[in-house]
Amino acid sequence: MDFANLAAQLNAGTILPEGIVIITLLTVLLGDLIAGRAASRWTPYFAIGGLLSAIVALYFQWNNPTPNGFLGGFNADDLSIVFRGIVALSASVTLLLSVRYVEQSGTPLGEFIVILLTATLGGMFLSGADELVMVFVSLETLSIASYLLTGYMKRDPRSNEAALKYLLIGAASSAIFLYGVSLLYGLSGGETRLSQITTNLLANNANESIGVVIALVFVIAGIAFKIAAVPFHQWTPDVYEGSPTPVVAFLSVGSKAAGFALAIRLLVNAFPMVSEQWHFVMTALALLSMVLGNVVALAQGSMKRMLAYSSIGQAGFVMIGLIIGTDAGYASMVFYLMVYLFMNLGGFACVILFTLRTGTDEITEYSGLYQKDPLLTLCLSICLLSLGGIPPLAGFFGKIYLFWAGWQAGAYWLVLIGLLTSVVSIYYYIRVVKMMVVKEPEEMSEAVKNYPAISWTAFGMRPLQVGLIVCLVATSLAGILSNPLFNLANNSVTGTPLLQSSVIQPARPVMLQSSKTLDEASVLEAHL
Amino acid sequence: MTSGIDLQASFIEVLTGLGLPAGVAKVLWLPLPMVIIVAAVTVLALVSTWLERKISAAAQQRIGPEYMGPLGMLAPVADVIKLLFKEDISIAKTDPWLFAIAPLLVFIPVFLSYIIVPFGQNLLITDLSVGIFIWISLSSIAPIGLLMAGYSSNNKYSLLGGLRAAAQSISYEIPLALAVLAIAMMSNSLSTIDIVDQQSGYGILSWNIWRQPIGFLIFWIAALAECERMPFDLPEAEEELVAGYQTEYSSVKFMLFYAGSYANLVLSALLVSVLYLGGWESPIPVSWIAGWINVSENTPWLQLLTASLGIIMTLFKTYLMVFIAILLRWTVPRVRIDQLLDLGWKFLLPVSLVNLLVTAALKLTFPVAFGG
Amino acid sequence: MNLADGVQIVSFVVLAAMMLGGALGVVLLDNIVYSAFLLGFVFISMSGMYILLNAAFVAAAQVLIYVGAVNVLILFGIMLVNKRQDFAPVPKAWLGKAATGLVCVGLFVLLGAMVLATPWSLSTLTPIGDGALVAIGKHFFTDFLLPFELASVLLLMAMIGAIVLARRDFLPGELAEPDETVLTLPERPRELVSSKK
Repeated sequence: MDFANLAAQLNAGTILPEGIVIITLLTVLLGDLIAGRAASRWTPYFAIGGLLSAIVALYFQWNNPTPNGFLGGFNADDLSIVFRGIVALSASVTLLLSVRYVEQSGTPLGEFIVILLTATLGGMFLSGADELVMVFVSLETLSIASYLLTGYMKRDPRSNEAALKYLLIGAASSAIFLYGVSLLYGLSGGETRLSQITTNLLANNANESIGVVIALVFVIAGIAFKIAAVPFHQWTPDVYEGSPTPVVAFLSVGSKAAGFALAIRLLVNAFPMVSEQWHFVMTALALLSMVLGNVVALAQGSMKRMLAYSSIGQAGFVMIGLIIGTDAGYASMVFYLMVYLFMNLGGFACVILFTLRTGTDEITEYSGLYQKDPLLTLCLSICLLSLGGIPPLAGFFGKIYLFWAGWQAGAYWLVLIGLLTSVVSIYYYIRVVKMMVVKEPEEMSEAVKNYPAISWTAFGMRPLQVGLIVCLVATSLAGILSNPLFNLANNSVTGTPLLQSSVIQPARPVMLQSSKTLDEASVLEAHL
Repeated sequence: MTSGIDLQASFIEVLTGLGLPAGVAKVLWLPLPMVIIVAAVTVLALVSTWLERKISAAAQQRIGPEYMGPLGMLAPVADVIKLLFKEDISIAKTDPWLFAIAPLLVFIPVFLSYIIVPFGQNLLITDLSVGIFIWISLSSIAPIGLLMAGYSSNNKYSLLGGLRAAAQSISYEIPLALAVLAIAMMSNSLSTIDIVDQQSGYGILSWNIWRQPIGFLIFWIAALAECERMPFDLPEAEEELVAGYQTEYSSVKFMLFYAGSYANLVLSALLVSVLYLGGWESPIPVSWIAGWINVSENTPWLQLLTASLGIIMTLFKTYLMVFIAILLRWTVPRVRIDQLLDLGWKFLLPVSLVNLLVTAALKLTFPVAFGG
Repeated sequence: MNLADGVQIVSFVVLAAMMLGGALGVVLLDNIVYSAFLLGFVFISMSGMYILLNAAFVAAAQVLIYVGAVNVLILFGIMLVNKRQDFAPVPKAWLGKAATGLVCVGLFVLLGAMVLATPWSLSTLTPIGDGALVAIGKHFFTDFLLPFELASVLLLMAMIGAIVLARRDFLPGELAEPDETVLTLPERPRELVSSKK
């Protein structure tokens, strides 16, 4: 195969957005190397610019007629574009939030950006990886970058502890995942392309074997670690508490989104013959995540820990969409992740801002904040209420769509548990809001009493403010003006051949029921 | 290209001529090359210790060993006998197992690496397709032995020496491998035979040293560092560390280290001659001379002559490099450990990367001269 | 059975025994230095397996990467951070060990049963042997090009990260003004908050 021929076959244009991210990464690295600390004036903005242009490049790839690149290694279908967009967007918002935080901790900013961009790159490649080797390498890129980010505050024992725990558990889960993947490789007679594995398994009569089930279990263990579903969630609270907060923001949104993309692609593509088993396992994981995440979050005293458990619960909600496996299910999943991006990052932006001003993240220290910083209070309240699913906000529509799709597909128990646990979640979200808003001036906490004068002029505060406002606006308006996002989510699912061939037709026509369900759900929600 | 003489084929032929079945003859042949090589390597290493004494004596205007045989040539033998009959002291509080295994771990990979060293077209144990790569990977085992020796001696100097040795050896492995990679790229093969063949044709002018001068220097510097030769003999820097990881060793175990280090030096010199100096090729190819005096290349005496000349050429080039290494030992001062690591990581590594890229570019631009 | 087959089977048994024994030693020995050395031993036996499978290049790469790089780094880590610390013996520690053992045996039985029950699709192709190098190279530049290149980004970033985490940010002379907040999380540790109240 000569060079020109090979270049044509590679279809390298499919990874143009990732290429932009790599170029950005190298420029930041070299700029930081040459200009030293002075480079931190422009590197974050340059990195954000790079990520945004990657998103623009993604936009131009929409409905690409030849999505397969690198001889089947990478698939740039619409689904992957949406997920890559989510990962890149979450990284760029995270960058906005992190400038001041990193600066204040005295750690080098340039390397932070480089590692964060590498994590983004790993997540983006993971969203489109269509081959086992590629899946593993991009998963490791994402994971190793995350370990590094977690331990970035190296003088802080909590950060060290978090990094070590994350590394050890992550390495173990990667090993298990790799074992499952290698089983799959062996069972399919040495095939690494996801789309071919099923065919080969059928051809080898290996589809009935227990080996496929074991491979499935091991693979799910790896994926569930990434999305922090319940039996594999133990790392989450400690890692979230000990990591720098912007990193937590990225882990809870970008890294999770990439994990969900991997879950869809791998489970739907490579395990259709054990579909019942994986649906069963995922249902169990979703139920456990929703219940445990939301219940344990009630007892948390630290804001970061509470958000950690809440993110476990949220992952459980998103998994409903994956389990039901209808068009609407996948679309609701994508939609919820898009909404979740803004509301969760908005929440973390407020936590970061509060931490930077007061040096604490205890929930009790938030009491009476309304008197001192109304903007922060408003923003945090909106984001938390949206996470809880209070009506006019974006989170409400996300949840409604998920539950509606679930009900329509007949997953009644999942939806009921989801509704119940979101009631629970509203309790602990509202607790924080109440703490901030309702308390009398004399009940104000120590930290709020000593609250510094609000100033946005210090280095890195401006981007934080921009990030905050963007998330606030998106969270409050995405619900009401959600049509474009709805369409995007729906189109991404209908435009993806992989999902179209696998979609499970609903067992019975439930269109009649849908409006009723919607009503029921909204009534329930409003009631709460 | 003549294939030279094929020892295996002739050996089996002779035996079958004596009435033995071919299978038995082959089984008889199997261990022979290995035995020969082990013996040859020992002799080569001993010769280089003798050279070391003589040349260092000359460098310091002394005479060196004189009374043990002609020109003191039996001095290495005396050394070996002495070391063999010394008491094997087992030191209290060492870790006996690791202490005993460590010298073997240093010694065995070096001897194993000789399986890929060619002395002629068919004069090597195996012509592996991964050839030179075997040597690189085997030489990466040695640091483990060094760390083991340093650790098990239960002695601070030993531990420091072992750590230094391992750090040095892994740092210089990379430029070394990159220099070899440039050669492999030019010869389109990793096999040592192919590498030498690619340097034949125009006599001395076709040797790789003209095409890879920078690679040659990098390789030689890195090889000296891998052998812990003088400018880089930090692991056993006697003024600082007594004798580094060898401090606690005596008798046979010490001899293994000692023999290993000289065998390694000879091995590196041999590989320089194979990789850069045309291996067994003469500066003026024998086939040209044969052509001028109108002798067929298949004449038996010419084949014999070519083969012996090949061995002599290889050894001549090798000992030339050994000579340079010994002279260097007495002319340059020792570097500091930080200078050593700086040189390895900040200078040799980038230079060897650039060398590799330039070689690749030249190969694309001038495929005729760079093995397209 | 001819000579070659006999040699193969014997080497396989020997290598397998070496590998399993070494691996058990890595896990069960108390002295971590022994474990690390045995790990190198396991890697070498594994490369022997590759040679048996006629994959010389993979075997050499295994030795170079795992023994020459990974294991040496592990040993470095152990020897540079050799802090002796005696832990108080945990009462009833055997319970945990027994449970671990039980789980491991269970997993082994499960995987063993799976391996035996699965109709493996064995390749009928003859091993490529010496051509492996070329085949691997072709794969790296065609269908595995993307992971191969991504791995370079991954390694670059891992290197940068390792340097960031390991480097000393203050020279000893500059430590005159100790600043507690530097390089730590802005959040106060929880213990401090509660004890203050």
